[in-house]
Amino acid sequence: MTHWITRRAALTGLGCACCAGLAASPAEARIRPADMRPLVGPGYRPTEQDEQGLWHEYERFEEEIAGSNLLIQDQRLASYLGGVVERVGGPAAGELRVYLAHVPEFNAFMTPTGFMVVFSGLLTRMRDEAQLSGVLAHEAGHFLRRHHIRRWRDLKRRTDFFTILAMGAGLGGAATGAYLGDWVRLAGIGTELTLAAYSRELEAEADAMGVRLIAESGYDPTAMPAVWRQLIGELDASAAMRRRHRRNQSLLATHPAPESRMHDLTISAEEVKDAGRTYDRGRDRYLAAIQPHRQRLLDDQVKLNDPGASLYIIHSLAEDGWNGLLRFYEGEAWRLRGRNGDRENANQSYALAVAFPDAPPEAWRAHGYALIGTGRPAEGRSALTRYLAMAPDAPDAAMVRYSLQQ
Amino acid sequence: MARLPLILVSAAALALGGCVQTRQYADVEFAPPQGDYDLVVMRPYVSVGVVTTGGLVEPRADWTEQARTNLLQALREQQAGRGGRTLVLENREGIQGVSPQDIANLERLFTAVGSSIVLHRYMGQYLPTKRRQGIDWTMGEDAVAFGRATGMEYALFLYAQDSFASTGRTAVQALGIVGCFIGFCAPQGGGGQGAYAALVDLRTGEVVWFNLLQTSSLLPGVRFGDIRTPEGAAQMVERLVGRMRAGRHVRERQGQ
Repeated sequence: MTHWITRRAALTGLGCACCAGLAASPAEARIRPADMRPLVGPGYRPTEQDEQGLWHEYERFEEEIAGSNLLIQDQRLASYLGGVVERVGGPAAGELRVYLAHVPEFNAFMTPTGFMVVFSGLLTRMRDEAQLSGVLAHEAGHFLRRHHIRRWRDLKRRTDFFTILAMGAGLGGAATGAYLGDWVRLAGIGTELTLAAYSRELEAEADAMGVRLIAESGYDPTAMPAVWRQLIGELDASAAMRRRHRRNQSLLATHPAPESRMHDLTISAEEVKDAGRTYDRGRDRYLAAIQPHRQRLLDDQVKLNDPGASLYIIHSLAEDGWNGLLRFYEGEAWRLRGRNGDRENANQSYALAVAFPDAPPEAWRAHGYALIGTGRPAEGRSALTRYLAMAPDAPDAAMVRYSLQQ
Repeated sequence: MARLPLILVSAAALALGGCVQTRQYADVEFAPPQGDYDLVVMRPYVSVGVVTTGGLVEPRADWTEQARTNLLQALREQQAGRGGRTLVLENREGIQGVSPQDIANLERLFTAVGSSIVLHRYMGQYLPTKRRQGIDWTMGEDAVAFGRATGMEYALFLYAQDSFASTGRTAVQALGIVGCFIGFCAPQGGGGQGAYAALVDLRTGEVVWFNLLQTSSLLPGVRFGDIRTPEGAAQMVERLVGRMRAGRHVRERQGQ
């Protein structure tokens, strides 16, 4: 992600970009996990000037991230994430650091120096530790395969080449009276396309490296294609509820299309599986680690005003079993959308939520008001009373008490 | 990332200019620190790199460290010349009485305030209500509390970047100029400097002075200083903070 910005900024600065492979193949070949050997070992430190410069810049960046007030401060969760990274980090396990940022998006990024930032939206979506480990192993793969510096060198090479070509064409054209500007522009487009293609290739490498790492450390490798299946489902559900089509993959995309990643990972996951070995999914460990934050994670998600995605995520998590929290936020997603009939859907979810022992206090409040609004005041009052008993210090407690007196 | 506007304006000016430029703004009542005072330099950011043939800037760790050491030394000497004592905050743990988190908050606040100054003073988004008012921005109570806790009177925020054209880039620059003689005139940017400094009065919390410096040239081989050397660093410090002008009201009273 970070190098994406660098590259685009660099190319914009150049005025245009360049060309070497207009025949960029739309379907890039799958990279085999067996070919993915780590390129760095324990205690890796850069020895070449360009990589040292890159590291130097990122040291300051890490200081910013480490002191950011967007980080979720939870020592136990941090050491849990650190533990998973250490398990899947291969030879770089000891070099990797994880920071958890409170950003409700499905994303994570790796930096050249070995620290990664995981967005809280990732934890919202993962169904077990194996799925989480796949994303973390993908990020570790970027480090193990030295992607930042390889990409920077590719960018340097191609912009150098283009600049020489453009200057040559300009001077040659001026000397001979020919106008080559259109060819230079074409070369620019080609350069941008090949840079994007290389970026996609590295992402595919990280996927292949990642699936191998998690299988080697005992996680079920099929968890990785499953993450992509979920993401595709989420994007489709989000688009469908907005009555839009999902945007198609472009030739300038820095990452391969989710479909192609899922496809390749499905084959690769089978490839890296050992017939006799049993693989771990670690669902209970995962849920225990995120439990203190799960309500906030779901709350962040439903407030994004993306009901299609929110409902999809909730339903996908509920495939492992419904509970009060998921039902309550299912209701919240409907209520916040607020179209015709949504209120009824929401009320139904609240009623289901309070049947679970883990229903959050807010579910009782929502259920209570729903009952009062549908002509069942006595039951409604008792639900609100239950809310006050569970959350006597809630910021809206006085208002709810007032409702009870009406 | 939040520093982007500040960096962008330095970078943009770097690409366009062909000389040394500084533009400073001060609070109308600003009098440059003189005599006995304490100044803290807030985690100065320095970056030095090489410009590739294709025009990208590749950071160089060794040059950056060298430049940083030289700049800070030059700044200490320059401030001592005015009578001030300078404390350089190397990291957020570097000062007694203030937590790293508070320093981080202050830095983030400055990033916001500094970006606003750059936007409304340097990037053309002038505010009609602020005409002829110098800079009228404040860091508020947090800066005052920081000053009280540390005993410092001024805080200086400093950013400096410098870059040098590689051999390949110099050749491209030369071709761009040579081309002018045959009808393909395409001057290309090479290395150059971009820096800013902002002075906050910790007794009032106000940003009292701001300066932006750019040096660049489209001619190959032409440079306006090299902060990797002690002389070049001293030159940048002199251009950036050495010619601090008093605020408009102060100058008017002095009859300048």
